[in-house]
Amino acid sequence: MKRRTFLAGLAALPITSSVAGCGLSSNTASNSSASGQVTGEITFQTWSLKPKYTDYVNGVIDAFQKQHQGTAVKWVDQPADGYLAKVMADASAGSLPDVINVPPDLSFPLARAGQLVNLDESLKDAKPEYLENAWQAFEIPGKGGCYGFPWYLNTGPIFYNKALFQQAGLDPDKPPTNFKELEQQALQLAQKKVAMLGQTPSIADFGLYGVKLFENDKFTFNEPKGVEFVETYKRMYDAGALIPEALTQNYTGAGAKFMAQQTALSPGSAYDLGKFKTDAPSLYANIGITKPITNTGSANMFLHGVSVPKSSKNQATALAFGRFVTNAENQVKFAKLASIFPSTSKGGDDPYFTTEDGSDEARVRVAAAKQLKTAVNYTPVQFSDQMREALLQQLADAMLGKKSPKQALDDAVNECNRLLK
Amino acid sequence: MKLALRYAGLLAILAISIGPFLWQFATSIKGPNEDVFVPDFIPDDPTFGNYAAVADVVPVWSFALNSLAVASVNVLTNCVGAAMAGYALARLRFRGRRFAAVIFAGSILVPFEAILISLFLVMRGLGLTNTLTGVVLPGSIAALNVLLLRNAFLALPAEVEEAAIIDGANAWQRFTRLALPSVKGTLVVVALFSFMFSWDDFLWPLVVLSDQEKYTLTIGLAYLQGTFVQNQRLVAAGTIIAVLPLILLFLLLQKHFFRGVGEGAIKG
Amino acid sequence: MTHRPYTPWLFLLPGLAVCLMFTIFPFLNMIVLAFTDASALGGGQFTGADNFVRMAQDPKFWVAARNSLLYMVCVVPPLVLLPLLIAVLAQKIVPGIGIFRTAFFTPVIASAVVVGLIWTWLLDSRGLVNSVVEALGGTRIPFLTDSTLLLISSMVVTVWRGLGYYMVIYLAALANVPKDLHEAAMVDGAGPVRRFWSVTVPALRPTMVLIAALSAVNGFRVFSEIYLLSGGTGGPGGASTTMVMLIQSVGRGLTGEVGYASALSFVLFVILLGLLLITLKLNRREDQL
Repeated sequence: MKRRTFLAGLAALPITSSVAGCGLSSNTASNSSASGQVTGEITFQTWSLKPKYTDYVNGVIDAFQKQHQGTAVKWVDQPADGYLAKVMADASAGSLPDVINVPPDLSFPLARAGQLVNLDESLKDAKPEYLENAWQAFEIPGKGGCYGFPWYLNTGPIFYNKALFQQAGLDPDKPPTNFKELEQQALQLAQKKVAMLGQTPSIADFGLYGVKLFENDKFTFNEPKGVEFVETYKRMYDAGALIPEALTQNYTGAGAKFMAQQTALSPGSAYDLGKFKTDAPSLYANIGITKPITNTGSANMFLHGVSVPKSSKNQATALAFGRFVTNAENQVKFAKLASIFPSTSKGGDDPYFTTEDGSDEARVRVAAAKQLKTAVNYTPVQFSDQMREALLQQLADAMLGKKSPKQALDDAVNECNRLLK
Repeated sequence: MKLALRYAGLLAILAISIGPFLWQFATSIKGPNEDVFVPDFIPDDPTFGNYAAVADVVPVWSFALNSLAVASVNVLTNCVGAAMAGYALARLRFRGRRFAAVIFAGSILVPFEAILISLFLVMRGLGLTNTLTGVVLPGSIAALNVLLLRNAFLALPAEVEEAAIIDGANAWQRFTRLALPSVKGTLVVVALFSFMFSWDDFLWPLVVLSDQEKYTLTIGLAYLQGTFVQNQRLVAAGTIIAVLPLILLFLLLQKHFFRGVGEGAIKG
Repeated sequence: MTHRPYTPWLFLLPGLAVCLMFTIFPFLNMIVLAFTDASALGGGQFTGADNFVRMAQDPKFWVAARNSLLYMVCVVPPLVLLPLLIAVLAQKIVPGIGIFRTAFFTPVIASAVVVGLIWTWLLDSRGLVNSVVEALGGTRIPFLTDSTLLLISSMVVTVWRGLGYYMVIYLAALANVPKDLHEAAMVDGAGPVRRFWSVTVPALRPTMVLIAALSAVNGFRVFSEIYLLSGGTGGPGGASTTMVMLIQSVGRGLTGEVGYASALSFVLFVILLGLLLITLKLNRREDQL
């Protein structure tokens, strides 16, 4: 009855038909080759960029078509809601567009299933054009080969609520700078019944704490340092420094709690500042911005990329276009429009990312750009949605005291390793 | 006194029903300086500018036209197809009737999400991906509607048809002239549900279609939640825009739910 | 015989064709996958009953099955009765009734996300209900963070959303209650309550059975309410997961274990079919016109 779908990306239960299993999709590479002529028509699919960036994308397409006479790029933009379902369906049917916008966690399973073009093989000279850490994010660990042009990057500051800090007698100009201070301040806030955090740690947080996440084809975040990290959270949870909903919250839910001023601190992205301005003006008036909390000296990084499926009938043009979209010039232009950062090796040198003009936005931007030089995409590409859920559930059991932190992490790691196969 | 009680009951249910709608509406008219994540049913600075902004961001009209086309066809196919099947199940005796009923009942049990990808491959096999026909077909005769109409036909007194049989009317004549007019109320409900499901459906049209010109309104409105930009006021205004036609349709149709055998209200 | 033997099949043809082609066939396809270790991107070796063996040993499956069953048992009675009462209340034409009926229906068409938002606002740890509880001197009730209370809260939302939907079905069915039955009962001196039980309810029995079946199926298959109230998870530690939530989480995305998810879907289907056959049996008399 209730066929209405909400949050459809998650609601989509993907079932491949046995037809797809028999290889409708995987063996079509032969009729097209990467070294062919750059000409003809291709389709380019992006992740929710209309209508705000319509002019920008059309500009890039026009420039490409001018540079390569005889090419025609058809642009389709898919809403974020349901993107996964769309990619799933197309991948099963072998009808993925020629150039697709995917983050590493989507490109990895596609690449592992042999559905994406290996850029290291097809375009041997492309690699130096990109930041090394960004290029690595699209490699299959241990097997080599890169399966996506890195596109835009993001890293974020930590946002905190100065008013709530003040309310609990904390200095609003001295936010926590390491995990120890985070715990101290969180416990102090908790005494005044103010919650510091809206979420239990994600896998990337473990990375920031310095936990070894993955080694020799196995997850390892149950090492002593990981246990220590969970114990920190357990102490904070018991004191009331995490809202009760933290046990079940995803990133978006935690963000909403921060905007409703129910939590005092939240990791974010440069563009979140704009969101606070429009959706939570009274939070915006009290917003504090600080460096990410890390034990490793590196911040966490998120990125998107552009991949070419092997099923593309016009790989040469698709590859040329993928490289064109992600070249330094186009990326810098896009980054300026969207409060994100270029992944090309020279992109970050643009004065826009190195000089402040006194505004909050510029301060966040310059700090983030600096941060990105050493940033790491801590989330292992193998870390699937199912594994994320397993970690979340085990951490909830640990917080509730149903399991010891050690036991919970052992169970999470075992489940993740099982899912790895 | 009795009337006062009735209204008291109606108002009580109204109070618990209308909350989300009011919330959505309140959010959609909030001004730029108000918090969105803090619940507040009376905006300090109401504005209808958000509605205009939605239309700037999304070509609402062309999307709505696609939705209207899909939903109208869906209403038609469901009313006709489900009534025919429902009539056969309820009023005709034949071998295999139980089998047919189980097929329909079984269809209700299949979770749509579980067959999404398979269904997409079927559509692709038929060459109907990226067409509005492909959007309409899977829901064009919903099993639930067949069962609803079967139940409605079951309620008809047998004598009416027996008389017609004696007069020599064939099955089709009995169906169109006698049975169909008697289940108007249920037909209206089926029409409403078909319109509603089709109008609201998001996942299937999204998966089937790839050209933006063919997108339906629900997909179009999803663009309000952009990757780096979103404004909850616009999202709320968008949902109100999407829901308004349904509310109007319901308001128009609700009095017809009652046109059944009795033609009109029953004294309660 | 009042018709040619093939006539009924002509009536059924369009409906059966649509159901077979776009529901049953894809579903059979899915059943095949239930006996493989298929992943989301192809692959899939025949593995016999492995998925079902795994299921029997999977504590998550048993938790989910228990929750779904509990959910169904709890939501069916209110969903069969309350909408009927509302329909009886809303059937009489009084001034403004159209507005009332429409308002009762708005929860059905309200966006699911908004429904989630408003109920979260009511029930979360700092929600409206808890501030009232605290003001009265009580302690906060963990409506959304305790796995049992989360299930109960979701049931409330399910019932609330179902009121308007089933009301409409009842309204249409009420019209088919022959008027003379009521009149006859009135002549016998039966009051409105007696007439409700002795005329309306028996006449509506097929509809009540249909609604019981529908709400049972939907109750067993509950997903959105728990999903929305628990921030996209199945409650703390996954203790409030239901069957469909489990299927979703197992099969989701490009990394989904499609074989296992299909096996779970198949079992879900079998359970529902069993339930349906029971209701059909209960409804036998009406069924054999």
